[in-house]
Amino acid sequence: MATRMETSSGRGTATAHRGAAVRRIASAMPAWVWWLAGIAIAAGFPLLNVIGVVETAWLRVGVVSLIFALLALGLNIVMGETGLLNLGYIAFFAFGAYTTALLSSPKFEIHWPFLAVIVASTLVAMVAGFLISLPTLRLRGDYLAIVTLAFGEIVRLTIINLVPLTNGPNGITGIYPPRLFADAKPALEGIEAWFIIDKPLEYYYLVLVCVVVLAVLLTNLKNSRIGRAWNALREDELAAISSGITAVRAKMLSVVLSAGIAGFAGSLFAYYSNVISPESFLFMQSVIVVCMVVLGGMGSIPGVMLGAIALQALPQLIREAAGAARSDFEVYRMLIYGVLIVVMVIVRPEGLLPDKIFRREAHEVDPRELEMTRQSLFDLEEGEKDLEV
Amino acid sequence: MVQKRTGRVLALALAALLALSMFGLSGCAADDGGDGGEGNGATGEVETIKIGVQTALTGPLPDYGLAAKNGVELALEDFGTFEMNGTTYEVELVVLDDKAEPTEAAVVAQTMVDEGVVGVIGSLTTGATLSAIPIYYENRIPQISGSVTGPKANETGADTFFRTCWNDAIQGEALGVWAMELGAKKVVLMDDNGAYAVGLADVAEDTLKAGGVETLRQNCQSGDKDFSAQVANIKEFGPDAIIFTGYHPEAGLMRKQMVEAGLGDVIFMGGDGIRSEELVAQTGGNANAEGIYATFGGFPEEQQPGYAAFAAKYKEKYGEEVGPYAQNNYDAFGALIAAIKAAGSTDTEEIIAALQTLSYEGVTGTFGFATESDGAVAKGDIVVEGLTPSNVPRYVLKDGAWVSAQ
Repeated sequence: MATRMETSSGRGTATAHRGAAVRRIASAMPAWVWWLAGIAIAAGFPLLNVIGVVETAWLRVGVVSLIFALLALGLNIVMGETGLLNLGYIAFFAFGAYTTALLSSPKFEIHWPFLAVIVASTLVAMVAGFLISLPTLRLRGDYLAIVTLAFGEIVRLTIINLVPLTNGPNGITGIYPPRLFADAKPALEGIEAWFIIDKPLEYYYLVLVCVVVLAVLLTNLKNSRIGRAWNALREDELAAISSGITAVRAKMLSVVLSAGIAGFAGSLFAYYSNVISPESFLFMQSVIVVCMVVLGGMGSIPGVMLGAIALQALPQLIREAAGAARSDFEVYRMLIYGVLIVVMVIVRPEGLLPDKIFRREAHEVDPRELEMTRQSLFDLEEGEKDLEV
Repeated sequence: MVQKRTGRVLALALAALLALSMFGLSGCAADDGGDGGEGNGATGEVETIKIGVQTALTGPLPDYGLAAKNGVELALEDFGTFEMNGTTYEVELVVLDDKAEPTEAAVVAQTMVDEGVVGVIGSLTTGATLSAIPIYYENRIPQISGSVTGPKANETGADTFFRTCWNDAIQGEALGVWAMELGAKKVVLMDDNGAYAVGLADVAEDTLKAGGVETLRQNCQSGDKDFSAQVANIKEFGPDAIIFTGYHPEAGLMRKQMVEAGLGDVIFMGGDGIRSEELVAQTGGNANAEGIYATFGGFPEEQQPGYAAFAAKYKEKYGEEVGPYAQNNYDAFGALIAAIKAAGSTDTEEIIAALQTLSYEGVTGTFGFATESDGAVAKGDIVVEGLTPSNVPRYVLKDGAWVSAQ
């Protein structure tokens, strides 16, 4: 409890405050360095493939990892920031993927341009998110988890049984590759062919750009009034409401936004995989996205991205290790994967790159820090100044 | 302090894993083959080629995946070393698991391509196969699945995709043909909303409509007990025959309730899903069950020429009965090797061409592959000598037992 108060009232007496400011500057500098380093590594990674050090399968793992990073960023909004557990998140992903498949495939001979499709997919998922949020936002904790779980299953079963629209278990095949800046008609082959994205490498950069842009936007949103409102709702809903936050509106915004991101990711996924079928939208996938968020660090934007990449890349990493030994070891990769997740949760319950608040919750608080918090309770003016910074 | 140490141990373990994988990355590029080694050809020159096995050893269908792998490994013993143009070739299997999941299947397919395989056996399931097809197609690698029976598996018509199991559609067409031979003018088609039954009913309906037969479509859910609504609809329609493409528990109850409603003289037909002796009890006894017809989606095991020998070999090696589709996967590998020999080359483009004109004597019969889609038969489908929609095995229930109705 004390740790939470610390965040809501700022920290420190004059001396402690100065110390905190210095610390903040010190930690702000590397943050930018870290971000740039992360982007540089991600952008440079495919070059390893180009020069032949890394195999093309890794590019595909990279694309899927980045798509799941988008998903993890989206789920982090509801789960990490607002504190609503969603176990049917993959359903929004499915809405986006199927919208894309219907608007850009031979199924109905529709061939919308890429940008229109991706916007439509996002909007459809947002509408779905809005509709599901209407009856569920009054629920809390476990009940919300059950309802979202059921929602995910309903969507999956609908996909399987709504054969005229979705082709049921056969899935939708032959999704047209995205074309940037050009009309989607195949007649424009040639000059515009340059803008067609259909190689793993091209998908990689397309998705990477989306991830970076989204991460920057979400970081700003997290530090904005809305982000603070979400965090307040997560920590104590009653206190948040009594401070003037409209709980329903803030929660709805969080659900709809996260659904939209999932729809966006689903659209990219459908384009990338060229074919989609219900097997991609199982309950297990929802669980894996939840794992990515928890493992990476709830509420931490770089954390959840790292969690997504780690969890997606790990099976292939183990497979490559098995490949070196040329044995049946490969079969055990899912077992090792599970063990590593368990170990991670025991060793670092707050996640790989934890959010500040969650780190304090996961570990015993340093007594000195606790003392500072106590003092700060009597030092509201200082605290307020701190909040404005 | 303790926590810090565990963290360090973990970091070390992860680093070791990473290092190991880097070794894997470089190890994969260098092709040193070298295992096996039992075959020593005439000229002494030995070359290793890689064949991929994309299956699902984890995920929802590990028993099917293992049977497929076993089938291929058995084939490796029989055909894995061969001579061509004076060189002895040894096949090295690259067995990769796609969890029957489409996303993983794409990565696995790409890994196969990276590994430089000359052909792939797999994948196991429809979803995984769908997402693997474009990758193999782009990279011009022949792919033979021994277990994907869905009619629409190769909807895009990739010329790199083949299969050694029967397309479900052939049975749907067979049911339609048979109903017409029996003189039916009005036919009800009923499925259980499952992919398999719906696919079968769709094809049967198309066949009947093309023959000028009036049809009515009904469905139920797997596990249903009460069919009064469907029976009432059927009674109003007044058909000569009903084709039930689902499984025997529902079929038995459906038949029973139809007899009770006075529809006992409507011909009751179904696919291999109802060809079980249990059907008799489920219809409420011999009186109701007598005269029910069923087809089979290809040659049943007892009619597959090499099956007895295969089953004996399988049991000797693995100590268990033949798993699902193991013989089809065995044939897939055998056909791929036969195509390589026919092409006289390990160039994948030439292997694809050879597969298209291949005639191969396998466990399941003498077969080739369809070069174009034609009716129920899709491009790359197995075409078994002597098996057409009008002569797939037919059975009828007589005194509580299925007997041939050819």
